[in-house]
Amino acid sequence: MSIMQYNGGSVIAMVGKDCVAIASDLRLGNQALGISANFQKIFPVSDRIYLGLPGLATDVTTLVNMYTIKEEREIEPETFAHLVSSTLYERRFGPYFIEPVMAGLSKTPSGSFKPFIAATDLIGCLNFAKDFVVAGTASEKLFGVAEGLWEPDMEPEDLFETISQTMLNAVDRDAYSGWGVVVHVM
Amino acid sequence: MASTGGGAYSYSLTVFSPSGKLVQIEHALAAVSQGTTSLGIKGAPYAVRNDIRCSLIYSASNGIVIATEKKSSSILIDDSMLEKVAVVCPNIGIVYSGMGPDFRVLITRARKSAQAYWKMYGEYPPTRVLTQEIANVMQQATQSGGVRPYGVSLLVAGWDITRGQQLFQVDPSGSFWAWKASAIGKNMVNAKTFLEKRYNDDISLEDAIHTALLTLKEGFEGQMTEKTIEIGVISVPTAAELEEAPMSAAIGRPKPTFRKLTEEEIRDYLAL
Amino acid sequence: METSFALTGKGYVLVAADTTSARSIVKMKIDEDKIKDLGSHLLMAYSGEPGDTVQFAEYVERNIRLFQIRNNYALRPSAAASWIRRSLAQSLRSRKPYSVNLLLGGYDVAAEEPHLYWIDYLGTSTEVPFGAHGYGSYFALSLLDRYHDPDASLEEGIATLKRCIDEVAKRLVVSPGKYKVKVVDKDGSREIEI
Repeated sequence: MSIMQYNGGSVIAMVGKDCVAIASDLRLGNQALGISANFQKIFPVSDRIYLGLPGLATDVTTLVNMYTIKEEREIEPETFAHLVSSTLYERRFGPYFIEPVMAGLSKTPSGSFKPFIAATDLIGCLNFAKDFVVAGTASEKLFGVAEGLWEPDMEPEDLFETISQTMLNAVDRDAYSGWGVVVHVM
Repeated sequence: MASTGGGAYSYSLTVFSPSGKLVQIEHALAAVSQGTTSLGIKGAPYAVRNDIRCSLIYSASNGIVIATEKKSSSILIDDSMLEKVAVVCPNIGIVYSGMGPDFRVLITRARKSAQAYWKMYGEYPPTRVLTQEIANVMQQATQSGGVRPYGVSLLVAGWDITRGQQLFQVDPSGSFWAWKASAIGKNMVNAKTFLEKRYNDDISLEDAIHTALLTLKEGFEGQMTEKTIEIGVISVPTAAELEEAPMSAAIGRPKPTFRKLTEEEIRDYLAL
Repeated sequence: METSFALTGKGYVLVAADTTSARSIVKMKIDEDKIKDLGSHLLMAYSGEPGDTVQFAEYVERNIRLFQIRNNYALRPSAAASWIRRSLAQSLRSRKPYSVNLLLGGYDVAAEEPHLYWIDYLGTSTEVPFGAHGYGSYFALSLLDRYHDPDASLEEGIATLKRCIDEVAKRLVVSPGKYKVKVVDKDGSREIEI
């Protein structure tokens, strides 16, 4: 049993047409024993960015407390993704045991907004996917279901339905995830 | 303690004089005003905002010019080595008046800081952030033991996607503020008066470059040639250029918005 | 083996911990109090590595007291939980981490609500309606899933707690003999006999 699986939990983010969604389960466990059914793993970073942190629960709390940013502007999702990556890589040889998933809307030069998702591993290797990103104990199952259900250019309502069904069906096959799900659509 | 000049207070950097002055900082400003004249002019200062949250700025006439006089004490000096307008990162350039060696140290710090920012965020710092970083370094030198203030004033010209083009002046005290146009160094009072007369809010980059040359020409000692002046410009990217620019460090590096004019380009401007 | 439970009810938190102090297979003491009063409206049940437990509990107790002396008001349960969690999270990545598991029960006088936090030695912290540590948790948690009522009166809460104790006594091979039970509500914390 790896330390990444100790508390359980999963997060997924998906791109739609001019929208993004991010979802997580709510379980916190001690290996197979469930402790809490209300452990939030998704946190707002700004009006346009959400950060999901599956992994070791103590590090989830520590990192969420850390991401308070001192700058006089709204941070762009791309910039934030680099910040997350840099912060994790600083601890390359004694990492925080989390796999961040980010979803946001980034501003284009013409002033409109473009969906953005990204994920990193526990030492900050960035993955900018165009369709969906997954992480956590149910990641294999999430990959499978998302691969089947996701399609390009979904409207917010369809995106909500797709990400919800992906999450619900994946965590049902994972003993370490579940106990409720939250979904955010931007 | 010595009692000449500013009296006992003139030696201790960190002690206020009874009149509330830190005389060493005033002396540093005096060093700056003996330096060669430098100036900066910013085009179209009013932000063209296309919506409230997006403060992206572009317009054909946009840009900044920073320029300086380059004077060598002997004709035997190889002036191709002298560099007074320095590139910090692809979107920011700085010119100074005052002590050359102090400027070199500050530029090294600024470049390091810009690269640290790139490493952390995957993009170069906004002008304001970098300016503040340099200003902090200069401020530290006004209340640390065993050091003297930097004997330079800086004009920082930069462009970033959030604030557009900005022109800042930084003084030895560490204070900094934004200008539409400003001058520092030996001839700053006359130059500023000249700029006040010549400046208007929708000046184009080309006009700004000419105005900069005319301003420098006032009170210029000797012949003004491509060898005796330096010019740097910020040219604001067009909407189309921005759309195709890489959004992230993972894809590529941004196209520079700051560059120094070549001697050929300067010669052409002087010929006009 | 060491066991502690806690549950919330209408306006109170009940916290129970066994009173056995054991070294290896030997019971050294059978009336150990493993629930600390951290101020007037805050209780903390602690268990884990002998030595670390008392050491860490006293460290927390004194720091919470120091805060109260300095600022003339007590930390609310949520703030105390954050501080304690942070201490454990920092300790986890130190040379010799504390191995202490906690149940932090408190009554928030300002919001007039009871709060219960489940905290482990890794610095994992979560607010729960009921929680448990130790081998007893495997029995108690499933029992509480069935019988816990957040709106139960104190009498009903105590009855549920007794069910937990009885279940652990019945099913756990090495079950503890005695428990100390404390409650915290709007009137502060006190011990209750069961």
